[in-house]
Amino acid sequence: MSGPAQPKYRVASDKPFLIGLGVLAGSYLLIIGAMVLADLVFLDYGDQPILGNELVQQGRYTEGEVPVRVERGRKYQYRPGKNEVGLKHGGQLLTGKIFFKAIADEVRLQPRIPNVPITASLRPEAKVIAIALTNHIATLTTDQSHGLLWGEFIRVNDAGKSWDGVHEITDTTTNQLSIALSETTIVPKTLQLSKPNPLVQALRSRDIQFSIMLSLISCTITTLLSIWVAVPIGYLMSRFEFRGKPLIDTLLDIPIVLPPLVVGLSLLILFRYVPDWLSDAVVYKWPAVVLAQFMVACAFAVRTMRVTFDQIPQRYEQVALTLGCNRQQAFWRVIMPQAKGGLLAAATLAWARALGEFGPILVFAGATRQKTEVLPTSAFLELQAGRTEGMLAVSLIMIGAAVIVFILARTLGMKRIFA
Amino acid sequence: MIALENISLRQGSFELSGVNLRLAAGEYGVLMGRSGCGKTTILEAICGLRSIENGSIRLADVEVARLPPAERGVGYVPQDRALFPTMIVREQLAFALVLRKQPQTQIAERVDELAELLGITNLLDRAPDKLSGGEAQRVALGRALAHRPAVLCLDEPLAALDEELHEEMCRLLEHVHRETGVTVLHITHSPSEAKRLAGCHFRMEKGKVTREEKL
Repeated sequence: MSGPAQPKYRVASDKPFLIGLGVLAGSYLLIIGAMVLADLVFLDYGDQPILGNELVQQGRYTEGEVPVRVERGRKYQYRPGKNEVGLKHGGQLLTGKIFFKAIADEVRLQPRIPNVPITASLRPEAKVIAIALTNHIATLTTDQSHGLLWGEFIRVNDAGKSWDGVHEITDTTTNQLSIALSETTIVPKTLQLSKPNPLVQALRSRDIQFSIMLSLISCTITTLLSIWVAVPIGYLMSRFEFRGKPLIDTLLDIPIVLPPLVVGLSLLILFRYVPDWLSDAVVYKWPAVVLAQFMVACAFAVRTMRVTFDQIPQRYEQVALTLGCNRQQAFWRVIMPQAKGGLLAAATLAWARALGEFGPILVFAGATRQKTEVLPTSAFLELQAGRTEGMLAVSLIMIGAAVIVFILARTLGMKRIFA
Repeated sequence: MIALENISLRQGSFELSGVNLRLAAGEYGVLMGRSGCGKTTILEAICGLRSIENGSIRLADVEVARLPPAERGVGYVPQDRALFPTMIVREQLAFALVLRKQPQTQIAERVDELAELLGITNLLDRAPDKLSGGEAQRVALGRALAHRPAVLCLDEPLAALDEELHEEMCRLLEHVHRETGVTVLHITHSPSEAKRLAGCHFRMEKGKVTREEKL
């Protein structure tokens, strides 16, 4: 029987598969990019005005517009809430966050829906009305309460040499603030005050400067320690077979699988059992920061080094042995030069892990300013103080540090490849 | 000279016992056998890369069974050649001599001598990943010969080469053997390759090594 011709064998198109791959990869990359970008654009990089007390009364909208008295000629910052259409001002409707100069005696909030809470904000700019200088301390009096705190920074403009620039506030009252000036006896008639952007504030703050330094130093010590430990362990686990190896393999992974907070707690409890002089020197001091970072970072470095050594065939060592090496010489002359890439990867990973370590440090080293404060601790303290901008500024510093280290590692890695 | 007497060793479930092999000084020995019969294991035992349970291994009249590989005076060329990826050809050839702390001038002389013997003078400054299969084989040979070992162990040196290079490499091996007078143990799974090579032939079967008479 001669049947119909066999249908030609057809294979389904590759397009859906490739598009699927692209979409999945693309959406993840998009989230990563958007995440970092959001941090970057959220911050207001310009200087902010010094604002006085809130003028909008708390309450609910009843019927229609809510009038607010303003002073003609003064500048005001309007920030709409959820229930306002905008702010009516001299025949104009202002929407969105805006800093404007009043041209009337009254502005009116326009509610979206009646009988809901008022959430808009209208604050006048605080102007400097008196300047005094005694013993290098300048005291500025404002016509509104300025809301600034001791330890914050302000920028002075249009006041001349040694006045202009960013200064730390050394003292405040409701309407006055003091800054320290050196080498000037000239008192300007007027000056402009503004709040520098959060990044400048963070970089100028002594607490955060300390935490940047502590972070950089502790991460570097941690990385060196991790490499020092990870190389021998990785080599041992890669090259030697011995009884109990699976058990040790599991132990090495414990810091990776354990919740970070538990690592800190376990360290804290462990240090109850060591001699007093040792626990006094470590717990709640900077060595605790390093130890907490090390416990987690080193586990990642060990993993990386083990994979690195696993990928280098034993054959190289064997040849080196027949050529006249002992094991140590074979390791240093033949294996380590090949492991450079992996070493760099392990170091970068350990450094980045250490930089981001927070939970164990909080538990084991505490969060004392200028003592055990590292960058993640700073971010946490800023958040607790309600300063989102400050937290973001600290985050940006961490992103910056991480990016620099990664670029450095990549360039060093490249050099090795092209050499 | 290579003399294995009553060697037994174990590697997992694989076991060899009572292996004997004798090769006089300056001879070219070809050890033939199927893949997986233990040829490489024997070679590794000679080089000291695998410990033996019993028996004696004598190389150039020295009992080496308890010596580390470095002190056995063997040159080893593994099947995959295993050129050190981070060293240029010159460094590979000098490696054994640098370890022996020979003076710079002497090392340079020896490297040039080897390069000439193997026809790789123009490759001395190349990285190993820029070498062809045949070139890599020559460098591996040079590296193994640098410290003037009494015994040269070749593990399937022709296996990965194409037909043309095959013949060229056979001639090179003969040339090297003639020039240096080194005792060579060459293992192969290919009977035709064994036939092509001069010297005395051994066959490995069922864990035993037998000397074959010349056909």
